[in-house]
Amino acid sequence: MTTTDPRTTAGEPGGPGAAGDSGDASGLSVVALSQGQLVRRRFFRHRGALAGMAVLLFVIVLAFSSIGFAGIPGWWHYSFTQPTPIENGGRPTLDVVPWLDGDGLAWGDHPFGQDNIGVDYFALTMRGAQRSLIIAFMVGVVATIIGTLIGALAGYFRGWADSLLMRVTDVFITIPVIVIGAVLGRRFGALPIALFGAILGVLLWTSLARLVRGSFLSLREKEFVEAARAMGASSSRIIFKHILPNSLGVIIVAATLVIAVAILTESALSYLGLGVRAPETSLGLLISDYESAFTTRPWLFWWPGLFIVLIALSVNFIGDGLRDAFDPRQARVRS
Amino acid sequence: MVAFILRRLLISIGVFFVATFLMYVLVANAGDPLEDLYNISDPGDRAARIAARTQIMQLDTPVVVRYVHWLGDLLGYLWGAGSLGVNRAGQAVAPLLGLALSSTLRLVLLSTVLAIVTGVAVGIVSALRQYTSFDYTITFFSFVFYSLPIFWAAVLLKQFGAIAFNDWLGDPVVPLPVFVLLAALGGLFAVSLVGGRTWLLRGASFAGGFLAVAAVLLVLSQTDFLARPSLGPVGVSVLGLAAAVGITALVSGLAARRVLIASLAGAVVGIIIYVATLSVLVDATWPLLLGLFAITLVVAGGVGAGIGGIDRSRAVRAAVLSGAVVAGLGLVDWLMFAWPDYVANSFGRPIATIGSNTPNYTGNLWQTTLDSLTHIVLPSITLVLISFAQYTRYTRSSMLETMNQDYVRTARAKGLTERTVIMRHAFRNALIPVTTLVALDFAAVVGGAVITERIFGWKGMGALFIEGVYTVDPPPVMAFFVVSAAAVLLLNIVADIVYAYLDPRIRLS
Amino acid sequence: MSAATPAPGAPAAEAPVLQVENLTVAFPTEDGVVRAVRGMNYAVAPREVLGIVGESGSGKSVSSMAVMGLLPRSAQITGRILFRGEDVLSMSPRQQRGLRGRRVSMIFQDPMTAMNPVYTVGDQLAEAVRSHSAVPQKVALKRAKDMLDLVGIPQAEARLRAYPHEFSGGMRQRAMIAMAIINDPDVIIADEPTTALDVTVQAQVLDTLMSVKDAVDAAIVFITHDLGVIAQVADRVLVMYAGKPVEIGTTTEVFSKPLMPYTAGLLGSTPSAEGTRAGERLRPISGAPPSLISLPQGCPFGPRCPLVRDDCRASEPELRHRGATGAALAGVAAGAPLPVVSPNHLAACHHSDELLAAADATRFFRAESEVTS
Ligand SMILES: Nc1ncnc2c1ncn2[C@@H]1O[C@H](COP(=O)(O)OP(=O)(O)OP(=O)(O)O)[C@@H](O)[C@H]1O
Ligand code: SF4
Ligand SMILES: [Mg+2]
Repeated sequence: MTTTDPRTTAGEPGGPGAAGDSGDASGLSVVALSQGQLVRRRFFRHRGALAGMAVLLFVIVLAFSSIGFAGIPGWWHYSFTQPTPIENGGRPTLDVVPWLDGDGLAWGDHPFGQDNIGVDYFALTMRGAQRSLIIAFMVGVVATIIGTLIGALAGYFRGWADSLLMRVTDVFITIPVIVIGAVLGRRFGALPIALFGAILGVLLWTSLARLVRGSFLSLREKEFVEAARAMGASSSRIIFKHILPNSLGVIIVAATLVIAVAILTESALSYLGLGVRAPETSLGLLISDYESAFTTRPWLFWWPGLFIVLIALSVNFIGDGLRDAFDPRQARVRS
Repeated sequence: MVAFILRRLLISIGVFFVATFLMYVLVANAGDPLEDLYNISDPGDRAARIAARTQIMQLDTPVVVRYVHWLGDLLGYLWGAGSLGVNRAGQAVAPLLGLALSSTLRLVLLSTVLAIVTGVAVGIVSALRQYTSFDYTITFFSFVFYSLPIFWAAVLLKQFGAIAFNDWLGDPVVPLPVFVLLAALGGLFAVSLVGGRTWLLRGASFAGGFLAVAAVLLVLSQTDFLARPSLGPVGVSVLGLAAAVGITALVSGLAARRVLIASLAGAVVGIIIYVATLSVLVDATWPLLLGLFAITLVVAGGVGAGIGGIDRSRAVRAAVLSGAVVAGLGLVDWLMFAWPDYVANSFGRPIATIGSNTPNYTGNLWQTTLDSLTHIVLPSITLVLISFAQYTRYTRSSMLETMNQDYVRTARAKGLTERTVIMRHAFRNALIPVTTLVALDFAAVVGGAVITERIFGWKGMGALFIEGVYTVDPPPVMAFFVVSAAAVLLLNIVADIVYAYLDPRIRLS
Repeated sequence: MSAATPAPGAPAAEAPVLQVENLTVAFPTEDGVVRAVRGMNYAVAPREVLGIVGESGSGKSVSSMAVMGLLPRSAQITGRILFRGEDVLSMSPRQQRGLRGRRVSMIFQDPMTAMNPVYTVGDQLAEAVRSHSAVPQKVALKRAKDMLDLVGIPQAEARLRAYPHEFSGGMRQRAMIAMAIINDPDVIIADEPTTALDVTVQAQVLDTLMSVKDAVDAAIVFITHDLGVIAQVADRVLVMYAGKPVEIGTTTEVFSKPLMPYTAGLLGSTPSAEGTRAGERLRPISGAPPSLISLPQGCPFGPRCPLVRDDCRASEPELRHRGATGAALAGVAAGAPLPVVSPNHLAACHHSDELLAAADATRFFRAESEVTS
């Protein structure tokens, strides 16, 4: 099912029925692009989204390749657990400022410095980034599945599923995510982080469900759904074949935004000591551990924070680009 | 209307019970409340302490029963005679909550209001200037703010907004590079705000912004303004009259002479009252100030109505707004007057990093207000940063959507001025969806306050909450939760009412 | 006023209230420049009804929005729009605003969305009055009530306090008509005013529009897809294709003697227009309108035209008087009177004479579509 841009197909009496019969060659270039092509084209024109995409990919590759993952060794020569003798007060050796007192571009031995006991801070930050990314990914998957399922049921069947969703949403609105997250984090924070991510996901599905519900509510009244229903298609067929593909835009955008929220929620919980716990680490936990070091060794505070901002920012930009691509209504103002 | 509110209240009460029950059970199961006692080496002491705590926390009764007990305590408290339960040390929670409540609510409400006002305003301008450098800049910073971990931002603010700023206040010299940078930023801001299309216009607006900022900085540093700030009657008058002109431009456009005159008259009313009370306000009290404020508004409104003629309603609105602005300027002037003393009192470090007030601080109304302000400024900036982004993004897209509506085109086709089209037709409609965001965002601000309070060492409700969670002690956590949930639910009802008020298609029934 | 040159196709009797000369509108977009209007020309005499028809996207709305000054800032506009001989495009924004809604007003297609949902109908009508004259709200509301009476809304007094959503579609469109005439305009541009309405109320709203037009002595530019409506209300009709007028003339002439294949095609595909025999299926013109970003060489209708020849692809025909020549003369049966084309009937087609010669011009389309389908 492809929907086409109304501008290119708006019918009129005496005019062409649909864009389908514009097979002729010369001059007739009003060929409706498929929805997918349009979305892709609009996305790749969104500079912020492209930059976000590039940065996010870079961070992911850096985090997973540098110190290795799941037994596969990485290219970075220090471990994130073994201390090495502290050099130069653990100061970062990274230098990208060629002017003032900089030595020009230099990577150095410990680009991000070393922590209190001499562990290489680049390795540690990469480890934290890995953990935070995994948690965010798990939250994204779990929240999207639950949110889509419940939102679809509520929007399509309305009735009890809808009331349930609305009441549950009401309850969740009263409980700040960080509050319930803190309670759950106190209980489950010591679990393997992927599992912890899944539990956070159970918290963050409501906004997604509401968006999916809205999309389903409006799509179920559309002609093509009516037509399918009239031809005797089953509910599940209508949902999966007709409505879901058309809600994909909403779902993808909402999922992206949930991931950004997840990164921040996880780090805030870990900062409070109610999320990821030692011996595991995460970006939020690193900041929490070294908050008091700010005046003496500020880099211990800067690096993990920068990475959180970098990840959340690029995800948000990607989400924005996706929204513009799927829903270009706001892209141009008429007057 | 009444029926609607009652129904919503009933639903909210239901939600409230479900939410508190969930929360209670979750907190009670968040860990082992006896954990810290297991390490006591002396077995006799250990057993006794465990028994004592088990008794205080009623650990031998099922959670549900404990919840019901707690509910009883809550109802008693609302009746005016309960303790809200005891924490695990056996202290009644109610007095603890009382202390925490006022400071936290102040922080949360101030931040929410600031975020709404700035966020909506910037969002509107950003939408009207879509695809200009202003729009891009705002969009970028909104995303950055939205992506900031709140604790990280708070620590940075504490470092640079308080510690470094206080150091600088000791010797307030703007270094040349910073001076040039600030002025250049002012220039860029002017360029994006004017949105000129030709290079000449852009150059001119850049120069204008650059010079304006440079001049302000120079005057500030030359006159020792930061050490002894003051507006004085002249400053209040000049700024107040300028604001009156600006308000007219927004309310009706400067072409509406009567509105302009009414607005200026409203400002004059404010100025007269400000000057007349100069001698008596040193020992002001809040009721006195509120009374003066009300008088200012009423007189200004009356004058506006007298002058307004056929433009009466707009004239009244402009006059009242101008009066209010002048009153605000007067307040600022008085606070500035109290500043040097306050700075001396705080040993030259006015911006506080710990607590919601200086302990045991006494002074007149202006000094205690300054004390609260210097304590609240950084935590509230932290909270505003995050909600601000939400409000600008949301308002911007809502505004873009309304600007594309047919009725906006109709408004233009009627021959209305662009100002009327935007303010009366587009803006009013763009606000409608924003009201729903307020209620949603408030919960996030409350959550953020938990973290902010911790970083800035406030003994607020956040502390109550976190301590309770750490120690698996439900009553303090629930005390926090009761307040926050009730606030969120009430705000939701208010948002619904405002929504229905703004959108006549919604029926309150 | 005297500077106004007599416009092509205009009845010379009275100086026109509105003249559009060589109007072009282009929108720069990411895909290229959309040339939405490529040379619009018409003149409207006082109290006259000019119908404009054409396919979706042919530039009807864009050209009228240009007249109203309602196009987005990104639009590049050239040409002249003369209101009572004065060029609107060279006026200050303030002067333009003074015309808008006062001397020239507009009725839009969708009454459901054209009114602001948050203000009462009375407020919105009164606002139109007060934006052009300094009168108290009371006076403006009184005027609004009179207008609602005029357009046939019962209990006008009470209806002033109603919100748009409390009105039915037909009533809303009446209210829009009331808003359009409230300042006693000289020209009303009605952009498909009945398209979005129920068939049952279309006729009533149309009647209302025509009767208030007489009440306020306004001319109407009536945009529609419905040739039946044109036949009913328009004195003259202008046919648009790909951003240009391709035929203009009095309604009777154009309907009886279309001189451009596209017009003939439109007539052939309209049930109420003459030439459709009972029981015959309607034949839409096949193919799609050309892209306004890259137009084909020569006649823009060429790719869809059953009469297309090499000369059509070589040059774009201009809009001018097409007399009875060539094929037209040859095709006339001996003794029959020569077909006469009135001097104000203009067309843009190299082969108008063939249409003129044919007894039923719409047959070209029937034959052609039967072959293709
Ligand atoms: N702001 C804009 N930017 C780019 N293209 C535009 C803009 N506004 C209109 N167009 C294009 O101009 C062309 C003419 O549009 P217009 O609305 O005038 O058609 P119309 O004849 O009124 O059609 P309809 O019968 O569907 O109302 C269309 O191809 C449209 O896509
Ligand atoms: S000029 Fe040629 S292609 Fe164009 S309408 Fe006339 S006959 Fe058809
Ligand atoms: Mg149109």
